[in-house]
Amino acid sequence: MKFKHAALPYMVWSAVFVLVPLGLVAVFAFTTQDGAFTIDNIARVSGYTPVFMRSVWLAILATAICLVIGYPLAYLMSRMSGVRQRTMVMLIMLPMWINFLLRTYAWMTLLENNGVINSLLRLLGLGPVRMINTQGAVVLGMVYNYLPFMILPLYSIMTKIDDRIIEAAQDLGANPFQVFSRVIFPLSVPGISTGVTMVFVPAISTFIISRMLGGGSNMLIGDLIDAQFLGNAYNPNLGAAISMVLMVFILLVMSIFNQFDDSEEREGMLI
Amino acid sequence: MNENAIISLRGIRVDYDGEPVLHGLDLDILDKEFITFLGPSGCGKTTTLRIIGGFIEPLMGDIFFQGQRINGVPPYKRQVNTVFQRYALFPHLNVYENIEFGLKISKLPEKERRQRVEEALELVNLRGYGLRNINQMSGGQQQRVAIARAIVNQPKVLLLDEPLGALDLKLRKEMQVELKRIQQSLEITFIYVTHDQEEALTMSDRVVVMKDGEILQTGTPQDIYNEPQNAFVADFIGESNIIDGFMHKDYLVEFANDLFPCVDKGFAPMERVQVVVRPEDILILPAEKGKISGVVESVIFKGVHYEMMVEALGYHWMIHSTMSVEPGTVIGMDVAPENIHIMKRTEEE
Repeated sequence: MKFKHAALPYMVWSAVFVLVPLGLVAVFAFTTQDGAFTIDNIARVSGYTPVFMRSVWLAILATAICLVIGYPLAYLMSRMSGVRQRTMVMLIMLPMWINFLLRTYAWMTLLENNGVINSLLRLLGLGPVRMINTQGAVVLGMVYNYLPFMILPLYSIMTKIDDRIIEAAQDLGANPFQVFSRVIFPLSVPGISTGVTMVFVPAISTFIISRMLGGGSNMLIGDLIDAQFLGNAYNPNLGAAISMVLMVFILLVMSIFNQFDDSEEREGMLI
Repeated sequence: MNENAIISLRGIRVDYDGEPVLHGLDLDILDKEFITFLGPSGCGKTTTLRIIGGFIEPLMGDIFFQGQRINGVPPYKRQVNTVFQRYALFPHLNVYENIEFGLKISKLPEKERRQRVEEALELVNLRGYGLRNINQMSGGQQQRVAIARAIVNQPKVLLLDEPLGALDLKLRKEMQVELKRIQQSLEITFIYVTHDQEEALTMSDRVVVMKDGEILQTGTPQDIYNEPQNAFVADFIGESNIIDGFMHKDYLVEFANDLFPCVDKGFAPMERVQVVVRPEDILILPAEKGKISGVVESVIFKGVHYEMMVEALGYHWMIHSTMSVEPGTVIGMDVAPENIHIMKRTEEE
């Protein structure tokens, strides 16, 4: 244990840059602008229930779509040859090297009323279809941006499923559906839980995607918080209160979700 | 086709990347026998097993199970079960659930499942281990779980793919005896794959020696050991001295510049042959009394016996003997007629 002191800088770092700010957020959330104690801020958050509901709904939708797209893809990838697997991982990572804003701007151009897709539809004598500034566009943006965070943990857990275990199941009489339901799916649950967490958490707190693709009518919690700190509404105390509520909400959702796979060992998992 | 055959392979050919790994394999596997595919890695023994299990489709040839052609039948519809190399147990299930897997798939009622799992646990000496996690079990125990998981389905044929490869020597010996006992009490066919000749000789009713995708010899362990059909089999099954010689006439062979009476016949006069003498069959005599005399080069103590290398007329003889002779000593050697095995020359090597 020569290196036990090596963790010290990180502990200091965590204390200074994680715990202290968290404390500050809590202080802000429970004080007025003059610094007096109040629970008004927290109480006012309930007034934004529709925004919360919309954020939760869109985040759930985006997470579910990511899971539906990502799960089969991750499975297929995990059964490919080594070279193909690396190529696929590259292709999935590649968009992440492009700036997040730029990628979302690209979708704006595609989805706009006079955008690329509508121009094509017009050539075919269809449309125009209203796509930009809809909830659908926001969900699309979330799925597009966060899909890799679903695929990669699923893929990494699925590559650990030994081919021989699948063969053993076949050998014992399991047809392809039973192989999936009794072996592959249960063994991939830790990957699902990590993937869901890694998509759901950023999706529920995003503000860039909703602002760029959702227009003014699809405000999410993230936009609300942003408005309290940097926008016209300037009210850091309320912003802090909303942040606190969001944080508690995410913790609750995650702990409920993790109940589903608490017993199994989760080797190499993030949560 | 042999009517006692439970599995018959006819003209099986398999290619990997255009390279043949099995060329035209023919084999009948009898009901209730313990048959072992023995050969070095890459000889096609595991491929043959996987063809029977349904995991590989042969390029050409037919597989019959009790007279029915089963080419193209997927593994889950075949009445065979496999004990895989390194066990391949389900990590998300405990011991009981692992063994129960196949019974659950076949929708057996709970009561019967429980009874059969308990019987299987009993058979592999793991009673009371049902609720353990797989990763709490030692290698030997996991091995037993893998066997129980396969036999609980009461297959007519059990395939075993080097099941003892990962165990240490002592455990391996125990499991060999155990496997033989299980096979005899279940009265089913075991098809066993190994590269360990000792394992093959210990357990099998019949051994199939394979090399480069072909069967070199099939026979009882005694046949294979005592009457190897060619130099490869002789060398692969135990240690051997293999010397070139001439068959002068029936029952008389020349090698090491001398004539030896032997028990083989049916060769052309003066036909070139290869002579196999097992190291333990060489008699050590005083220098002047032996037919062959040579100089002891080295002596190694091997526990039960000494292993000596003796140089005579340019050939290095290996001798196993319970007595040791000082290196440098000149000794005489002789071989009894029944311990001289004559093989037709193989052109290779």
